[in-house]
Amino acid sequence: MITTITIFIPLLGAIFVSLLPDNERTVRYGALAVAAIPLLLATYIYFAFGGDLGNAALSQELTWIQSLDIGYRVGLDGLGFGMFILSALLTLIAVVSSWDIHTNLKQYMAMLFVAEVGMLGVFAAQDLVLFYVFFEVTLIPMYLMVGIWGDENRRPAAIKFFIYTFLGSTIMLAGFLALGVLAKTFSIEGLQSGGGLGATAQVAIAAPILFGLMVKVPAVPLHSWLLDVYVSSPISTNVVLSGILPKLGTYGLIKIAIPLLPQGVEPFLPFIAALGAINIIYGAFVAFLQPDLKSLVAYSSIGTLGFILLGAASGNAVGLNGAVLQQVTHGIYSPLLFLLVGIIAARTGTRRIADLGGLAARMPWAGALLALGALAAMGLPGLAVFASEFMSIMGGFEAFPVQGLLATLGIVLSAMYLLYMLSRTVFGPITKPAYEQAKDASPIEMAAIMPLAVLLVVLGVFPGILVAVQRPAVEAVLAAIGGS
Amino acid sequence: MTFTGETFVGLLPELISTVFIVVVLMVGVFVEKSPDLTASLAALGALAVFVSAAVLLATGFSGEFFGGGFVVDNFALFFKMIVAGSAFFAVVTAARWSGRTGDLPEYMTLILSVVLGATLLVSVRDLFGVFLAIELATIPSYALVAFDRTRRESAEGGMKYLLTGVIASSVLLYGMVLIYGVSGSAALADIAETFTGQLTPVAILGLVMLLSGFAFKLSAAPFHFWTPDAYQGAPTSAAAFLSVAPKAATFAVLLRILLEGMPEAAPTWTPVMAFLAIVTMFVGNLFALRQRNVRRMLAYSSVAHSGYILAAFAALQGQGVATAVEAVLIYSAAYAVMNTGAFLMIELVGEDSKSFNGLFRTRPALALCMGIFMAALVGIPPFSGFFGKAWVLLAGAQSGSIVVYAVLGALVINSVLSVPYYFGIIRNMFFEEPTKDAISEPRDTGAVKASVYVLAAATTLFALVVGPLSALTRASGLL
Repeated sequence: MITTITIFIPLLGAIFVSLLPDNERTVRYGALAVAAIPLLLATYIYFAFGGDLGNAALSQELTWIQSLDIGYRVGLDGLGFGMFILSALLTLIAVVSSWDIHTNLKQYMAMLFVAEVGMLGVFAAQDLVLFYVFFEVTLIPMYLMVGIWGDENRRPAAIKFFIYTFLGSTIMLAGFLALGVLAKTFSIEGLQSGGGLGATAQVAIAAPILFGLMVKVPAVPLHSWLLDVYVSSPISTNVVLSGILPKLGTYGLIKIAIPLLPQGVEPFLPFIAALGAINIIYGAFVAFLQPDLKSLVAYSSIGTLGFILLGAASGNAVGLNGAVLQQVTHGIYSPLLFLLVGIIAARTGTRRIADLGGLAARMPWAGALLALGALAAMGLPGLAVFASEFMSIMGGFEAFPVQGLLATLGIVLSAMYLLYMLSRTVFGPITKPAYEQAKDASPIEMAAIMPLAVLLVVLGVFPGILVAVQRPAVEAVLAAIGGS
Repeated sequence: MTFTGETFVGLLPELISTVFIVVVLMVGVFVEKSPDLTASLAALGALAVFVSAAVLLATGFSGEFFGGGFVVDNFALFFKMIVAGSAFFAVVTAARWSGRTGDLPEYMTLILSVVLGATLLVSVRDLFGVFLAIELATIPSYALVAFDRTRRESAEGGMKYLLTGVIASSVLLYGMVLIYGVSGSAALADIAETFTGQLTPVAILGLVMLLSGFAFKLSAAPFHFWTPDAYQGAPTSAAAFLSVAPKAATFAVLLRILLEGMPEAAPTWTPVMAFLAIVTMFVGNLFALRQRNVRRMLAYSSVAHSGYILAAFAALQGQGVATAVEAVLIYSAAYAVMNTGAFLMIELVGEDSKSFNGLFRTRPALALCMGIFMAALVGIPPFSGFFGKAWVLLAGAQSGSIVVYAVLGALVINSVLSVPYYFGIIRNMFFEEPTKDAISEPRDTGAVKASVYVLAAATTLFALVVGPLSALTRASGLL
């Protein structure tokens, strides 16, 4: 019951915010209050049930369509819980960081909360149809947020985003429905290990599902929608867009494709691992060439998603744990970088790396935090991304040595471009006199960034606080695929 | 043939609509200066038909009358509710438009006549009864399309609709006569006995002509070309009504003919349905992409949606039969709410897609409603259209036929293909700046607006009724 309440509180919040008077202050504080509730509830769940997410108090089942065994089934497990709580956190941060939105602020907040319903729902859904419904609920609000409040290139970016991901998810839906119909249930629990389907049927069903998920991630040949939409979005939309939306795809891979269709996915695993390695290397190379700081961060974000694919494809405990953890750590560092890019662009009036320089002198906090985010992105030990990337590579290397090795190469490449970027933007002498007057991050901006920075450090030092929660669920996945 | 009390109860929806046809016409003659009274009476009539069908459905009433030629079962009652419901919204909208021209009673009478024809149609079990009921529903609709004398397109659309409709009727009748010749009876039960095993060439010819005639009525490609002109010419309320009610009833009776009259011949007619479905989906969507006029766009969109429903007909085989019947029912209901709503928006905003520009800033509530209708027509959850498409996919997956899988592939492609034109409206509403002349709001739109809000709510909350709908259709009486 508490899970259902957490999922649907933002929907009430969206209605509540729409009814507020047109006063910017009122709307911002109202939205802040709404966004805090799911986060508090999710935190409460962590402390009360962290070791026992299978507790009956967290799950709920209502019959929806009896003849097909489709139900409203929600519950939490370790695979999704990290993202569940992160969705609530990033929504709150998006509310705080919506300082660049002034027109139709109420509607912006309302759309953000509708998207939050979808995000929380995906990570709690225990039924294929329900999963798909929540998966798609995020789509229209995101489309509108980019299309209404984005930059001058927003319209083509928004529709491209929509068409690509809708194509992917519709094909995925066909796979879901075929699976549910053949196995005579849509309950994710009832479908574990293939729901009694033969290997051929599993492969035929896994193919469309994997395609849809790879578009959503996006894996590299399918990624062209993502860059435009990342670059055109307002910063607060970026927070959610880069932090949560790609994980809908990777989570589907770990939660649905792999445990539900183990024999069907098996022939594709080397390719998924290879796509992961390609994402890592391609992302690093292209990021290196970007003249625009925001595009660089966007490609960096695409690149490190590759570790999730690699770890998920490995099919062993280390790799899967790494992949599940990397979903969360990626969702912490990537929004952090996007927020800082937004602040730097607002202060200097440019996002061109070549025009920036010496920002640390006048903006020590912003500069230091950008450096922190970049160091985390390159997998520096002691920061959150290290543990998850390391585990993903270990697992990936064990299963697919070539792909694992290539991924390691990607780490070196990403260290190169990130350090190069830092040296040209944050460090060195001040390149333009105008930057002498640049102000450091304001308290409200710090309020948006600091939680993420603290989490980067805390999870870097104690990855166990999440790994402990996710381990039972990862073991269940391993049992479903018959691995160790 | 005896009339018992039960007969009257079973015929209640039809009797009510007959009574209201007479009353509305008489009130129009004798109380000339009161358009409001006529409109209220017609709305009351549509509502009464709806309620009577709903009550019969809720009490589980079922039975056969007139020697088995007229049947009342859940399936029929459900479609009667769709017909009467959409008639209600058409009447409410038309009151505003037609009140000025002074011929409101005639317009209302025509709508109620279509209701009578369509409610009869879903209950008949005899080919000639089918023909009579189809004509009873179609002939008033020619007049409805041509009703707006102030616009030339209305006369043009009406004329085109009439000419093609007459041809379609003759083809349909000819097919029925051939089938009658083969089986020696027009009753579906008797036909089922002759349409078994290897079909004779005459039987196949009859079947093909029957299906072609139906394809015309359902605006399935390549027999769809009257649709855009007719819907563009028709008054908005008539276009909204005609694209939903007679079509749903025609789908229902086709389903009855195929399942009760020729179930053994399914290997012959499912490929025809698959072909029609694929062609119709592509034609509807590809032509809709080119439209700048919202009314024409919705007309082609209705062609495309006919294609999606026909895909469910192609899935009437293997394990998929029960789910395919469900799909037709659920899709028809889903389409009724979202499409009626989208058409009514034209009444409020305008038919040029540019008139929707900036609606989000000027009238955000209406923009939200139209956004819901468009998203539903694309098939995005949790809105109604998603469940229609999902059920077609489910039925197809159960059918286990390669041909049907190809149809499903076409359905997925077409869903994506339809995004640009539906989302073109969303883009205009949300991303563009308002144009100056679009801000003036038409007067007397209270009832239309209320209808739009109700339909938007129904489109959004469809997920809650889809479970009961599915359970209901499992016991539909058709299987």
